[in-house]
Amino acid sequence: MFFFPSIRPTAIAPALSLGLFSGVNEAMQIETVRYYDLSNVGGTARGWEREERILLCAPLRDAAPHLPMFFSHLRNLTYPHHLIDLAFLVGDSKDNTIELLSDLLAKLQAQEDTRQAFGEISVIEKDFGQTVNQDVESRHGFAAQASRRKSMAQARNWLLSAALRPTHSWVYWRDVDVETAPFTILEDLMRHNKDIIVPNVWRPLPDWLGGEQPYDLNSWQESETALALADTLDEDAVIVEGYAEYATWRPHLAYLRDPYGDPDMEMEIDGVGGVSILAKAKVFRSGVHFPAFSFEKHAETEGFGKMAKRMGFSVVGLPHYTIWHLYEPSVDDIRHMEEMEQERKAREKEENAKREREEKINVQFDMEGKDQWEKDMAAVKDAKKSAEDAKKETKKEEKSSDDEKKTSDDAEKKSSGNDEKSSVGRNAVSGEKAGADEGSPDGGRDANKATFADELYRVRSHTDTTPRTSNNEADPDDAMITKEPPRTPGFSESSGQQVENDDAARGHAGVASKAAAMSAERDELKLDEFERDMKAPGPGKEEDDAGL
Amino acid sequence: MAVTRSLRRNNTITYVLAGGLCLFFLYFFFGDTTSIPQLPAYAAGAARHVLKSKDAAPNELSPPSLPFRKPAKLAEGERAAPPPVVHYHMNNVTITSDPVGNRESILILTPLARFYDEYWDNLVKLSFPHDLISLGFIIPKGREGNLATQQLQARIEKTQAPTNKNRFASITILRQDEEPTILQDEKDRHALSAQKERRAAMSRARNALLFTTLGPTTSWVLWLDSDIIETPPSLIQDLASHDKPLIVPNCFQRYHNKDKDAMDVRPYDFNSWVDSPTAKELAGKMGPEEIILEGYAEMATYRSLMAYMADQHGDARTEVDLDGVGGTALLVKAYVHRDGAMFPPFPFYHLIETEGFARMAARLGWKATGLPNYFVYHYNE
Repeated sequence: MFFFPSIRPTAIAPALSLGLFSGVNEAMQIETVRYYDLSNVGGTARGWEREERILLCAPLRDAAPHLPMFFSHLRNLTYPHHLIDLAFLVGDSKDNTIELLSDLLAKLQAQEDTRQAFGEISVIEKDFGQTVNQDVESRHGFAAQASRRKSMAQARNWLLSAALRPTHSWVYWRDVDVETAPFTILEDLMRHNKDIIVPNVWRPLPDWLGGEQPYDLNSWQESETALALADTLDEDAVIVEGYAEYATWRPHLAYLRDPYGDPDMEMEIDGVGGVSILAKAKVFRSGVHFPAFSFEKHAETEGFGKMAKRMGFSVVGLPHYTIWHLYEPSVDDIRHMEEMEQERKAREKEENAKREREEKINVQFDMEGKDQWEKDMAAVKDAKKSAEDAKKETKKEEKSSDDEKKTSDDAEKKSSGNDEKSSVGRNAVSGEKAGADEGSPDGGRDANKATFADELYRVRSHTDTTPRTSNNEADPDDAMITKEPPRTPGFSESSGQQVENDDAARGHAGVASKAAAMSAERDELKLDEFERDMKAPGPGKEEDDAGL
Repeated sequence: MAVTRSLRRNNTITYVLAGGLCLFFLYFFFGDTTSIPQLPAYAAGAARHVLKSKDAAPNELSPPSLPFRKPAKLAEGERAAPPPVVHYHMNNVTITSDPVGNRESILILTPLARFYDEYWDNLVKLSFPHDLISLGFIIPKGREGNLATQQLQARIEKTQAPTNKNRFASITILRQDEEPTILQDEKDRHALSAQKERRAAMSRARNALLFTTLGPTTSWVLWLDSDIIETPPSLIQDLASHDKPLIVPNCFQRYHNKDKDAMDVRPYDFNSWVDSPTAKELAGKMGPEEIILEGYAEMATYRSLMAYMADQHGDARTEVDLDGVGGTALLVKAYVHRDGAMFPPFPFYHLIETEGFARMAARLGWKATGLPNYFVYHYNE
C-alpha cells in the first residue's frame, strides 16, 4: 500500500494507524485555516472572464407554486453556473416550499453535465413567527406596509449575513415570482459596472386591465417634496411608495420605460426595488444592508438604496431594460373575472337556447325549406339549360318568387325565429353562390348569370345580413390576435433579450393587426363586389325583359 | 523476498502480521466512510444534508466559521463533484446563558494592525471549548500588515497542528487594501477630523470581517481587539451568563505608576457611556455629517463614562445600561448582527463605529449592557 498512496487517500491514513491515532488522522483531513484577499473580489464589468463568484439570494415564503418557474430561470442563466452560489431562506412557510425546494435543488445539482451544476448551495430554514399575512390583499395594503417591509428586511439580512463569503464579488437578489427575464441578465447588469443596479420591473395584465403595468415602484429618484415630507414624520415612520397617503412626486424608474428605448440607458436612483438587484459584494461587506428600522424614513430595499447612497456607492436603474413580474390577480380582479365568467356563461346559455330553438324550428319547417330550395335549384338549372327559353323561365321565376313570399309570410306569422332560420338556411347557399360568382368577371352581363344573381338578390332581400355574418365569422380569429397583449407571444417563452422580444412581439402584433385590417377590408371589398353584382343584374334583367 | 522467507520460519510473527493485514483489509473495505464521524450522513446518501454547529463542511465552498474537508486529489481531467445542497436549521441555533452546556459556537473577530504574542497567548488560554471557537482576522495589506500576518500565521501553524487536540474550529484571515489614510502622525492620530476618517475605515474593516465570516451556525460574536492582552480565561462564559444582546466589560490598562513605584491600572476605553442631555443637545445642533467624539476638551458631552464607574473591589456582575459601546471587547448575540446592526462608517445619529453600532442595535430593539467591575486589559505601548 505504500506504493500506491494515491489510490485511496481517505482510507489509507486511518488504516495505517489501525485506529490508534484516528483522531489525529481525521484532523489531518480537516482544513481549519482559510486565507482570502478581499482586493481580488471587488467586482468588475466582465466578471465571467475573471471568474468572479456571484451569490444569488432568494428569500422564500409559501413560494412553492413559483419554484418550478424559478428553477427554469436558474437553468437558463448564461453566467457560468459553477461561479454562482445559491442561498435560500425559507421562513414561516405553510406550504411544501422546503420539500419542493430540496427536491429541485438536488435535481439541479445532480445533472449529468457537471458544468451545469451550481456552486455552494445553502438552504436556511428560519421562522421569524411573522403574523403578517402574505396574501396579495393584505400584502399591499398601506397599513401593513411598514411592518411588512421591516420583517422582509430582517429576512434579507439574515440570509445575507449567513450566506455571504469572502469569495463573493457580486450579490444578486432575485424574487422567485419573476415570470420573464433575459437569460443574460447577470452579464447585462454587470456590464454597467455599478455598485448597485436594478432593471425596470413591469407585469403583464389581462386585456381588460390594459395589457401591462409598471410593477415595482420602489425604484425612484428622491424629490424635494419627499424630503420635506420625511422631515415632518416621526423617527419610526416609513415612507412607502405607490400609496395615496404619501404623495412624494418622485420620478419612478417604472414610469420612464419606453419599450423602444435604449436598454443600456442608466438613471441615477435613490430607492431601489427588491425584485432583481445586482450589487457588488463590497457594498454589503462595507455594511450596507436592508434596514429593518426606519432609516432616513425608509426600510428594506428603499432604505438599502438610501444607505448605499449615504456611503457613497453608485445606485443605478435601467429604465428601458425590463423584466416581467408574475401577474397575481387581486381580490377585485378575481371578482371582476368571476363576473366576466358569469356573463360569458349567461351568454353561452342564451346562445344554446337560441340554437335549440333554431334546431326545433329547423325540424318543424325543414320540408318547406327543402321544397323551396329544390324549386330554386330547378329554376337555376332551367336558366342554365337554355337562354332562349327566357319567357318560360321568367314565368317560373315569378311563380317561385310568389311561393317564396308566401313562405316567408307564413313564417313571419308563425314565429319571429322562423325568419332567422330561413335566413340562416340560406346563408350557406348565398355564400357559395357568391363565391362562385366572384370568379367570373362580367357576371352581370351574362344572361344566365343575371338570372342567377337576381335569384340571389331576392334571397338577400330577406337576409341582408348574409355577407356580414360570414364576415363576423371570420373576424374572431383576427380579432383575437389584435387584442392579445402585444408582448404575450414573445414573453410566454421567456426567452432571449427582453427588449428585442418586446419589439418582436410588437412587430408581430402589428403585422397581425394589419392582417386583420386587411382581411376586414377584403371582406368589405367582397361585399362591395357582391352588392355590385346584386345591383348590376337588376337593370340587366329589366333590359332583358324590355328586349323581350 | 529473502526477508519474507526468513520471516516465514518465525510462526508467531507471521501470524501477527497476517492478522494485522486481515484487520487492515477489513478496515480498508468497511472502514472508509465510518472512520470520519464528523462528516454527517450525506456521504451515506441521506436525502438532506444538514450542517450543525461544528460539523466539518464537505467542501471549501462553505461558511468560514466551519472547518472543511480537504479536497481529494483529482486525476488529470477529472472534475470535482458539484458541492452538495446543504441545509441549515437556524431555528435550532440557540443563544443561551449556558453556551458551553448547549454547545453554542462563537466567532471571535479581531481587526489586526499589530500582532502581539500576548494576545495569542491569552486567546489560547480561554477556557471555552476551542472546538466551538472560530477566529476571524482582517489585516490591511502593507508592510506592517504583512509582518502581522506572518507572525499570526507562525502562531496559527503551531496551534492548529492536527496533533493539537485543543485547536480552534476554524480560522479565517482576510487581507484588504489599505485605505488611503491621511497622515498617521501620533499627534495627528487623535485629532478630530482624522479620528472620523480612521474610525470610518475601521468600521468598514469590521463590517467586512463580520459579514463574510458570520456563518449560519454561529450563536455569538465576540469582538476582541488585537491589543487586548489579558482577560479572565472564562471571559466568554462570564459575559454570556448575563444573557444580554450586547455586553461590554470595562477595558483598563496596566502601567507603571511612578508615584507609587508599582504597577497600577487606569481606564483605557472611553467609548462605553450613558448618554447625557448635554450630548443630545449638542447633537441636535450639529450638521448631518458631524460626529460627537468622546474625550475631546472642545466637545464636552458630560456623558457618564463606564470607565469611571469602575470599582476594583466591587461586584463583577454589576450591570449598567449603556447607550454607546467600545469595541475593545464586546460580546454580541449573533441575531443582533443578523438583524442588520453593523458599524456605521458614516455619522449615524452623529455617532460612528462601535458607538454608532450600539445606536443602530437600539433602533432594532437591542439594548447594550456594561459590566463596570469586570475587567479586560489593553496593551501598554
